[in-house]
Amino acid sequence: MLSFVFRRLAVAIPTLLILVILSFVLMYSAPGGPFNSERPLPPEVLANIEAKYGLDQPFWKQIVNYVIGVVTQFDFGPSFQYKDRSVNDVIAQGFPVTLTYGFWSFVVAVSVGVSLGVAAAIKQNTWLDYLAVGVSIGAQVLPNFVMAPILLLVFTLWLGWLPGGGWEGGQWNYLIMPVIALSTSYMASIARITRSSMLEVLNTNFIRTARAKGLPMRRVIWRHAMKPAILPVLSYLGPAFVGMITGSVIIDVFFSTGGIGQFFVNSAFNRDYSVIMGITILVGALTILFNLLVDILYAWIDPKIRY
Amino acid sequence: MTLKTKLLATTSAFLIASTGALYADGHATHPETGETLASDQTFTYRVGDESPSIDPGLVEDTDGADVVRDLFEGLYNQDAEGNLVPGVALSHEASDDGLVYTFTLRDNAKWSNGDPVTAGDFVYAWQRAASPELASPYSWYVELMSIENGAAVIAGDIDPSELGVTAVDDTTLEVRLSQPLPYFAQMVTHGTTFPVHQATVEEYGSDWVLPENMVSNGAYVLTEFVPQEKLVRERNPMYWDNENTILDTVTKLVVLDENVALTRYLAGEMDRTIVPAGQFPRLSEEFPDQAVSVPRACSYYYMFNLRDAAPEELQNADVRKALSLAVDRDIIVENVLAGGQEPAYTFTHWATAGFETPDIPMASMTQADRNAMAQELLAGAGYGPDNPLSIDLVYNTNESHKAVAIAISQMWKQTLGVETTLANQEWQTFLEARGNGDFDVARGGWCADYNEASTFLDLMQSESGYNDSKYVNAEVDGLLAEAKTSDNPQANYDRVEEFIAQDTPIIPIYHYASVYMYAETLEGWPYENFEQNWYSKDLYRIAE
Repeated sequence: MLSFVFRRLAVAIPTLLILVILSFVLMYSAPGGPFNSERPLPPEVLANIEAKYGLDQPFWKQIVNYVIGVVTQFDFGPSFQYKDRSVNDVIAQGFPVTLTYGFWSFVVAVSVGVSLGVAAAIKQNTWLDYLAVGVSIGAQVLPNFVMAPILLLVFTLWLGWLPGGGWEGGQWNYLIMPVIALSTSYMASIARITRSSMLEVLNTNFIRTARAKGLPMRRVIWRHAMKPAILPVLSYLGPAFVGMITGSVIIDVFFSTGGIGQFFVNSAFNRDYSVIMGITILVGALTILFNLLVDILYAWIDPKIRY
Repeated sequence: MTLKTKLLATTSAFLIASTGALYADGHATHPETGETLASDQTFTYRVGDESPSIDPGLVEDTDGADVVRDLFEGLYNQDAEGNLVPGVALSHEASDDGLVYTFTLRDNAKWSNGDPVTAGDFVYAWQRAASPELASPYSWYVELMSIENGAAVIAGDIDPSELGVTAVDDTTLEVRLSQPLPYFAQMVTHGTTFPVHQATVEEYGSDWVLPENMVSNGAYVLTEFVPQEKLVRERNPMYWDNENTILDTVTKLVVLDENVALTRYLAGEMDRTIVPAGQFPRLSEEFPDQAVSVPRACSYYYMFNLRDAAPEELQNADVRKALSLAVDRDIIVENVLAGGQEPAYTFTHWATAGFETPDIPMASMTQADRNAMAQELLAGAGYGPDNPLSIDLVYNTNESHKAVAIAISQMWKQTLGVETTLANQEWQTFLEARGNGDFDVARGGWCADYNEASTFLDLMQSESGYNDSKYVNAEVDGLLAEAKTSDNPQANYDRVEEFIAQDTPIIPIYHYASVYMYAETLEGWPYENFEQNWYSKDLYRIAE
């Protein structure tokens, strides 16, 4: 097991390096640049700026300097767009926000999604099943960019219960709408996966045996059916968790949360190279990390899996 | 000099008016208007994106400039009509040759930490703004002000200390220009010329703009700054005119989506937000006291590609003129945009100071006549139903630009049988394509840098870096060059606009309006200030 973890971590380093190089090349091949604007800067002004940010260096040297800065000092450089901030500042400010609403969205999506899925599977073809399936299909087809403005309309404008946006350090009333908007479609997917995998497990021989022994249904479900039924859900949860905590531009745009998703998308439009790279590396590293965690959890839950 | 007299007169009016006002009391009244003031003196407004910087030396966008004007104070401020009023400077005198300006500063201006604001602070700030070390994208402004050695300092050829600005003593600032500039005094209301506190900047580096570090000299101090979420500023007790400041707290909220912002405005969460395209008629009917449209110093136009490599049909001025005639501007402003914009037949915005819109023949024709003339011109050029003209039209991705492009392509189709292919491009890609001449017809929008017609018309200069049409006309160049030193340049501007109408390098489409919702209790907004330079210290809330 330990050697598996080390092997995976060893592979992660070249993976990240390839990610960095690919992103660098793609970024630089996009038209425009961080200091292009409708009013082109006078050449001497542009020269000063490029010298300040090292953009006057040859391409390979920029990559090398960048990687050295990141590896040796964990320094992702200054933001080209937000001149009062460095990339580390941007991430330090935006990531905790995203992490907070992403984490709570994950908790809501998993708890509600799994419960709905299990309930639907146990009571298959009853009104409860239809309701659960109906809710999850509804949640799935309602994209968050439709949901967000509807939530705003209802809870902020009509009812006046919740603030329409902002973060204020993550107070609960600022969290509710972002969490609902972000969690619903994940919740729907989790409910559907749980339901179908639970149904499959409930029809297997070992469950039939357990029930024939006279074990109560509750014990059968929680003790015996849950573990195998949760495996397909787990493989979905790894990427889903990364997706939630690394930000949703929709949430940031509609609720002005100031999370990392908005910085990421803006940086692409502004050609803010250093912010693009910083967030790409962050998301890449988290994806690798959580895929690894899921694999470890797999082995822990399913004794058949050995690395 | 007249300006000096005017400034002194304004100052004394100010002092007389400000006696006996009490703001702490909920029943206080406004010293000039006598309106009852609200006890809650806060103002919350929406912007669409975070500003690149709020450092006066680096500030480059209008939202950032709004913040900088509250936090810092330059030599002069503007009043509600855009006239100069004293800031840190009380008055100035220009030498007879117009090359030396001497500003007299007030002796009671203070930084938020209690230090006096001196002429030396301005010298430091201006040298810093021009220095290659700061590498400000707005350093060219120092050059634009024609300050002696400005260009050489920016280019790094000489030390910033050689810049033509000197502190004669603490309250006397001397500026030497490389050429006379009639509107020099107007230029010192821009953030780039505002003072910064040297000790603070040197101690904290780029972190000096954080709320815990910043020392500023404006009517407000920075108390909270969370990028992409909000920025809060509160009244500065050290400000020399603090007793006449009414608003206590000003909050800028970053809300990207215009419709979300409108929802939050209607829920009472903010006092000012932009009206999304097309919603002005409904909102002005429902909230007549809140929806306001005022002219905004920008012109919307389409440009033709006149490079040799561009399609041959567009090299024919008759074809271009036909396409311009066939655009029904009234439909665009009334039905597509519906926000109080004005149809444009000249490039210069109609509300530009000192500019009188010349009589362009097209402007007084009916659309039916224009269409008839357009058909005739196009037929004369050899295009018609048998030989239809086809054009590629490119614009940057935006719902409103798309709506305008669709409407115009339909007008061309119906009136002239022209086949238009529409293409939208992401902003940076669009700028590159347009700059490289990779288009037939492209969208353009130009906003005034200063309130004078040359800010628009200089784009028509053959060598202008912003002339993406690559329109070349030696006569236009001559007229514009002459206008720079002329006492009455209007005649030259008329001629240039006539050339634009005749040669049609561009199709002026409409003149922008700025359409906002303002809370009913918010007063003092400078609607009449064409540049929309507002100062929170001049705003106040009346009791409901």
